[in-house]
Amino acid sequence: MDGPRNPSTIFFQYERIRRSIIASYWIVIILAIPLWWQTTSIERLSLPSSEVYAQAEAHRGFQLPVRIILDSEFTKRDNSLALEVQTVLKDSSALDIRVSGSSGRSEGDSYLVLPSESQEIRVEGRELFFPLEKASASVLAKTLASFILPDKDHRVVQYSPRYRLSFSLLNEDSSGGQVVEAWDASNGIARHIEPITSALSVLHNFTIESQAQFYAPLAFEPLKLSEDEAYGLTPEQLTVFVNSAEWTLSSSSSNDPVLHFLLFVPSASRRPLKILNKEGKPTNSNSFLIPQWGGIVIANLPESPSKIRLSTDDLKSSFTTFSQQLLTLLGVPRLSSGAVRSRQQPTGWQIDALLRYRAIENVVRTSDTLRSTVSLVEQIPNMPVGEKVRNDVRDALKALKSLSSSSNMTLTGILATSRDALTLSQKAFFHPGMLALLYFPVEHKYAVYTPLFASAIIPLVVAAMREVVAWRKQRRGVQVPQG
Amino acid sequence: MTEKTWSPTSRPTVSASYAFPAMVAVRLLVALVQPFDLIHDHQLSSPLTSYRNLQEGIHLFRNGIDPYSGGVFRHSPLYLSLFSTLIPKSKTFSAVLWTLCDALGAYALVHIWRARQGLGKHAHSTRDELVAGAYLFNPYLFLPSVALSTSSFENMLALLALMFASQKKQSKALLALSFLLHTSLSSLVLLAPVLLLLLSDPHSHLASPRAFSGDLKRLPSLMAEFLLYFSFLAVASCLASGGITWVSQTWGASLTLPDLTPNTGLWWYFFTEMFDHFRPFFLMVFSVHLLIYTAPVCIKFQYDLLYASFVLFGILGIFKAYPTLSDPGLFITMHVLFPEVYPYLRYPIVTALLHLHASLLMPLFHNLWLAQGTGNANFFYASTLVFACANGAAVIDALWAGLRIALGEEKEGWVIAQE
Amino acid sequence: MYLISTLVLLLCSSTIALENLVLEEEYTEYLSIRSLRDGKVASSFSFKTLLRDASPRDPRQLSFDDNQDASQHYTLFPLTLGQILRQYAITELHLTLNAGKWNYDSWGVPDEPGVGPGAELWAWMADGGTMSVDHRWQGLRNALAGLFCASLGSLDEQRTTSPQYAFPPEGTIPDLGLPHQIRHASHASEHVCTENLTPFLKLLPCKSSSGLASLLNPHRLFDADWHGMGIHVLWNPDGIEVHLNFQLVSDPLRPSTVQKQDWSLESLFDRTIQKSCPVAVTSQISVSLPSSGMYRITPEPHTLQGDNAHYELGSSLAEPFNVGIEWAGELEYPSALRDSSLMPISIHRTLQGPTQDKGRLLVTLRNNGPNELKVLYLETMPWLLQFYLHTTTMHIDGIPRNDLISNVSYILPVPHYQPATFESVLTIPGNATVRYSVDVTKAFLRYTEHPPDAQRGWDLPPAVFVPSTDSLRRMYAPALLVDLATPDFSMPYNVIIFTCSVVAFIFGSTFNLLTRKFVVVHLPEGN
Repeated sequence: MDGPRNPSTIFFQYERIRRSIIASYWIVIILAIPLWWQTTSIERLSLPSSEVYAQAEAHRGFQLPVRIILDSEFTKRDNSLALEVQTVLKDSSALDIRVSGSSGRSEGDSYLVLPSESQEIRVEGRELFFPLEKASASVLAKTLASFILPDKDHRVVQYSPRYRLSFSLLNEDSSGGQVVEAWDASNGIARHIEPITSALSVLHNFTIESQAQFYAPLAFEPLKLSEDEAYGLTPEQLTVFVNSAEWTLSSSSSNDPVLHFLLFVPSASRRPLKILNKEGKPTNSNSFLIPQWGGIVIANLPESPSKIRLSTDDLKSSFTTFSQQLLTLLGVPRLSSGAVRSRQQPTGWQIDALLRYRAIENVVRTSDTLRSTVSLVEQIPNMPVGEKVRNDVRDALKALKSLSSSSNMTLTGILATSRDALTLSQKAFFHPGMLALLYFPVEHKYAVYTPLFASAIIPLVVAAMREVVAWRKQRRGVQVPQG
Repeated sequence: MTEKTWSPTSRPTVSASYAFPAMVAVRLLVALVQPFDLIHDHQLSSPLTSYRNLQEGIHLFRNGIDPYSGGVFRHSPLYLSLFSTLIPKSKTFSAVLWTLCDALGAYALVHIWRARQGLGKHAHSTRDELVAGAYLFNPYLFLPSVALSTSSFENMLALLALMFASQKKQSKALLALSFLLHTSLSSLVLLAPVLLLLLSDPHSHLASPRAFSGDLKRLPSLMAEFLLYFSFLAVASCLASGGITWVSQTWGASLTLPDLTPNTGLWWYFFTEMFDHFRPFFLMVFSVHLLIYTAPVCIKFQYDLLYASFVLFGILGIFKAYPTLSDPGLFITMHVLFPEVYPYLRYPIVTALLHLHASLLMPLFHNLWLAQGTGNANFFYASTLVFACANGAAVIDALWAGLRIALGEEKEGWVIAQE
Repeated sequence: MYLISTLVLLLCSSTIALENLVLEEEYTEYLSIRSLRDGKVASSFSFKTLLRDASPRDPRQLSFDDNQDASQHYTLFPLTLGQILRQYAITELHLTLNAGKWNYDSWGVPDEPGVGPGAELWAWMADGGTMSVDHRWQGLRNALAGLFCASLGSLDEQRTTSPQYAFPPEGTIPDLGLPHQIRHASHASEHVCTENLTPFLKLLPCKSSSGLASLLNPHRLFDADWHGMGIHVLWNPDGIEVHLNFQLVSDPLRPSTVQKQDWSLESLFDRTIQKSCPVAVTSQISVSLPSSGMYRITPEPHTLQGDNAHYELGSSLAEPFNVGIEWAGELEYPSALRDSSLMPISIHRTLQGPTQDKGRLLVTLRNNGPNELKVLYLETMPWLLQFYLHTTTMHIDGIPRNDLISNVSYILPVPHYQPATFESVLTIPGNATVRYSVDVTKAFLRYTEHPPDAQRGWDLPPAVFVPSTDSLRRMYAPALLVDLATPDFSMPYNVIIFTCSVVAFIFGSTFNLLTRKFVVVHLPEGN
């Protein structure tokens, strides 16, 4: 031989050596793939999107059954009364209302309309006492509608399982001659507010707190009324009455919504402070309500003495007003005019109506939230979806489904389920883990990977492919020229 | 190929017999005098090998505080038990100890050389002094040792493992190897070539490649013995440190890189500048990348596993997580074992110049950045890149030469290339 | 139905019984002013509200889902603070926000010990229930950050420590049958400013509208040489006490052309007291009278008690109230006192070492009295700076005295996660100066861990010294600034590309060498 050794005769040039080397590279890489997956993958579990959309459609027509039983006295007088009342009610509502004549017995969750001895309309628990002679289909339907189907009211706060009720005594300026040093808020709350909160405990939990402030200036100058030494608040001024910059109102350290009730004591120099109507005339009212926020009562106290402690009796009228405002804010339906309230306020009718109203509200909000979650996840491909989020979405969906098949559920049960569904759906929507990689576009990922992989993996791939091609040729019996 | 004569002499010449002690004495003198304060230098000791961290860990341990409960101490519990019980804590003593450890390393290297040449254990060769000198006076090895970096211990253990493997002393080799793995997890790369070396022979077969000659059936029993020693040391470590927190603090550190102190390697700046989201991925890539070389190199050089370990030392010097100068230093020194490949080195001048370039730039830029404050981190980073290139070039040279030698000398009119 | 109404009636009657308790709140305000020997004037406002017979919440009543909580009825006690205390079941809370360095040697003991630079928050909490102490601590930080508009959220795990001895509870720990734990964090670069003062004033019953608080004029407060506010909540068997205080050191010499130390409320605060706070039980001003020099104090003190003149603001003021001292002559700073200290010990703490990777922490303590003194020394050091405790030395006049350091407790720092806590007792012989030093190493941070102004350096928290003679009189050593080595913040992609290219080059070359075949090529003659 003329030249150097024939390279193909050298041991390490053998094909099997080369192939096993290439294979050993690939084995390590393949073994590392799970690690790659583990270190880079964004946990993105699939959400039951189609079910969420289907559920949202299904709940458009979410209905709750209402059974009303007319006493036989009514049906005796007018056979078709029940049917007529039902027709009138059904036209105006999304509820599955059935009105029937009495069969002599009342079922557990139905409402009874009984003849009244007197001329007044009286509500007692789930029983309505209605004067027989007045009982025409339209009048009865109207009265029933007010109990069963409360109107949508923009003043009502959004549903929350827990509210914080914050009662504040605000002295506008306590160095102006008179100061309300203290008020017996806890007693006032116990007498006037707690009956309501305990009656509504099936709907909400409440945290109650009270405070007093000694300097709570207004952000504007009230109007001085020409006649009698009085000051007035115009309707425009009422909208900017709350001076949140200066008044330290409950900031709520938790996430529960706060309802504020303010007892405002104007400074001695600005008394009496009256609320004006649109024409600028003083009204008799000393209180007003700020929709979805709270209520305010203005207390024009007598001039003397200079230091006052407001007792429970002093606070009676203010707290009665607060209790009415609370009922309004929470959406407890008002009884139609002419109806007399029972001793107990709110009545079973009202609470049931509120339960229905809130349950429907919750169902709608839940399916909206779920739909938003699902579409958000669909829109942003980089958004991580953890197990918690998926479970929350699933459980919320499960709760919604159980509501659709809720034929034998009590109203409180329905509300509790809808509340759980809402809470779960919101927990999923606001889960902080979903924000992790919102700002990491895909291009960025490639820019980071390319420098290493483009230059390191390509030779490996090419070598592997060449070997595969050579091996296939060999198998076909074609002699591969060596060297 | 004409075999050069490393003529074995049954008796060393007078000058040769004194050469080794003399070299050690010079080393000891320098270590005792300590002309510079090198203990802090990041290039000579990493957080995993720093003498100060070792001292701090021993101090904490002696005062009843678990040194592994924080991020200060990342040495193996073996060091902890060794230094807190047996060895007095004095700087002079440490200087002596480190010099002795280097002397032992040089001794091991000489014996590897002898084993490779097929000389008897007590037979001297004319190159012995050169081999020892290459180890004792390589500045990359010398300076970390003066700085009392425990990487000197790791080098010594690595060389001892190779020496025993070359001499077919199975248990001793495996024991040394398990000590090595305990003190430095990245040495896992060396496990395969050392085990295979035990099964084959250390002689040079570079010029005449052949299939692996050893008996692979013995491999499982070797592996089992190794695991036995290794787990014994692990249990001992747990007992010494009173828990298993040391695992994440020592081995975990070279996988997760919690301490970003600059060193001569590629990891520290890469992970200083890494986006948080990609950190785990690239840590994984860098760790796996280190392992990927073992099998191919061992397969290719299955006829000369000493050469395979030599190449892998080079890889470790470039790519391990917390390298010091002594890691590439060991690779450079080991060139002395393979004089037969010298004629076939591809670009030795370029490689040498790159090394020279890097070894001047690195201390300069390190100083400019951290001490003078006139440079910034990029300066030092750039010089570590040059250093990586220099080490890479050396590894590529070694690979080329190790393979090329099999083709014999180039004849007129013929060119050898890779397809 | 009847059952419910009887329940309601029962509820009513039970709350009637509580009626008297709810009103048991007491508010007192107090201002003390003293002239300092270097001519400056230290004023300290103190507003205390006592909520009688209240007790801290038991953490076992807390739970994530249903925090069934008793109603909270307050008149004087600040509701917004009360909510936070109840929500996280805090037994004792101390928050101070200060700016400047309290000069112990010439100003002496501050009226409130919490004068450390920047923000400092510490709380004692009972450990029990489902919500962990750390979880509540995190909630507390965030809630207070929101309440005071301060970046207390940055007092995270990397700054939170639990020192065992330096911060004993200042009130009483209630016996709930639970262990109590402390959490402490400080942030030296968070300074007090107007946006923190406004929420502070809102916690006061009379805000800044009347009473002593009406003197708190932000323009003057934040112009003072040193100023700081503190919020302290503690419990003792009387009830829960909220103590709000504001301290400042103003310099009357600065605006005046002559070196006269004269001051009055009007000159210090640019305000006088127009109205008294109607709900304050007492509203007192106390002026400590100078021990030397000719001076006149106007108006006539209502009472004199030792060296202190007291004024009591009644429930109504006939005319605006102002008080001041005028000196006959110019201020003479007694040169003999220039080097003497008003404190039992003088402290200096410095970080030495010019390089960006290591340094030496040096603390010099001088015992100004003749008797041996034991001092508790606390360092809460972020992991940026790591101690080498084996290099600790103690010297007196150059003589090593390592026997003077004892009872060391050390919690190691964990990089990227937890700071170091180092507590030890130093013994200082009478009239001696002790030099304590320890080597430190500076950490190298990820580029995302650096603040936006990385080159400025990091403020290290102050060290705390507690003389054993008075365990409540903490002293703060000044904060330190440490400069850490910074990476190039514009480099991430460059580094990825450079490093990856080098790796790929070496990888590719070795791969080629190992897999490609050698060939022998015959060159034609003549080439």
